[in-house]
Amino acid sequence: MTGDIIMAAKFIGAGLAMIGALGGGVGIGMSVQGALQGMARNPDAYGNLLTNMILGIAFSEAIAIYCLVIAFLMLFVL
Amino acid sequence: METKRKWRWGVNRWYILLFIILSIFAVSLFPPVRPNIQVAAEKIIEEPLFNLGPLGDFYLTNTVPALLFVDLVVILLAFAVRQALRKGDLVPRGISGAFEALIEVLYNLTETSAGKWARQIFPWFASIVIVVLISNWMKLIPGIETIGVMHHATGKAGNQIQSLGGIWYNWLPQEAASGQGYVLTPFVRALSTDLNFTLGLAIVSVVMTQVIGVRAQGIRYFSKFLNFTTMFKKPFFGFMDFLVGILETISEFAKVLSFSFRLFGNMFAGFVLLALVGTMIPIFVPSMIFMFEFFIGLIQAFVFGMLTMVFMAQATHGHAEEEHE
Repeated sequence: MTGDIIMAAKFIGAGLAMIGALGGGVGIGMSVQGALQGMARNPDAYGNLLTNMILGIAFSEAIAIYCLVIAFLMLFVL
Repeated sequence: METKRKWRWGVNRWYILLFIILSIFAVSLFPPVRPNIQVAAEKIIEEPLFNLGPLGDFYLTNTVPALLFVDLVVILLAFAVRQALRKGDLVPRGISGAFEALIEVLYNLTETSAGKWARQIFPWFASIVIVVLISNWMKLIPGIETIGVMHHATGKAGNQIQSLGGIWYNWLPQEAASGQGYVLTPFVRALSTDLNFTLGLAIVSVVMTQVIGVRAQGIRYFSKFLNFTTMFKKPFFGFMDFLVGILETISEFAKVLSFSFRLFGNMFAGFVLLALVGTMIPIFVPSMIFMFEFFIGLIQAFVFGMLTMVFMAQATHGHAEEEHE
């Protein structure tokens, strides 16, 4: 019985930890939006904007990945 | 002199259909088993290989063969490119042509953001990109995470096994009675799903950033971290600059963390996704996930190298010069 409760708490905790991916999603969306607007107004800046956009995506994605790592730790390690 | 290429899709679509039908038969013959997912690398041999003194025991985990494999691939690629260069062809083709394109793109990127320091920074950037790329794409080789050693399951329920003749066994999806089950430890697991590898690479990247900063600015580089320069001229803002320096110091350590967790998290998530989708929908859908993982591996390798390059380029020019401009 106690083992089942611990199991349920693990799953609930992993699910709660992934709420943090919300921020990463919003951040990626906003950076892509800005880069696409820039590309539409100035198509010559395409390459430069693309690399900087990927860098920005990596930075904001890292936050979501932290949440994912915590969820994995809860599911598979603890 | 443009020759029209023959339209091949008419044949290829029947190949794809044939492989889908074959996979349906293969799945009904050998049903896929959900692997036991573990964050730390699994040990192939239970006993430690040798003792490292205060560091603890050295185990043969399944990412050690992966590391050797990646090193071997990188060395073989280097030899192939060297052979092609020795022949002296002006137009490289094959592997060396692909590498020339890759190196040219990376060098142009470095030159636009690092300027005259490009020759110092470029080797770190390119070698990190190539090593991480190969270790990310390693996971796409079939059989790399499915062939391994059977261990007796301890602590958790194992699965039944079926003899295939000789020392070969097949792992079945049915759970065995407690105490008789087996778990599978693959011989090789993708290298970037081990946190030790990504952490080591992140430490190399951040430490070499400091080295390049010192090489570019001398001892003045450290005034970024311990900022006493404006402390006595203007007391209030000088103190603020000192606090900002402490924040910079913390952010250097945070860089190690974010580098290593970004690569590890992405690649481990891909591994879990492949394992789960491969057991739930084993027909055709995993190939799309493989395609997605190919893309993610490319992006993550590029991002790791690119961030290293950008941080090194930032370290070469101090912010004191910018204020006077």
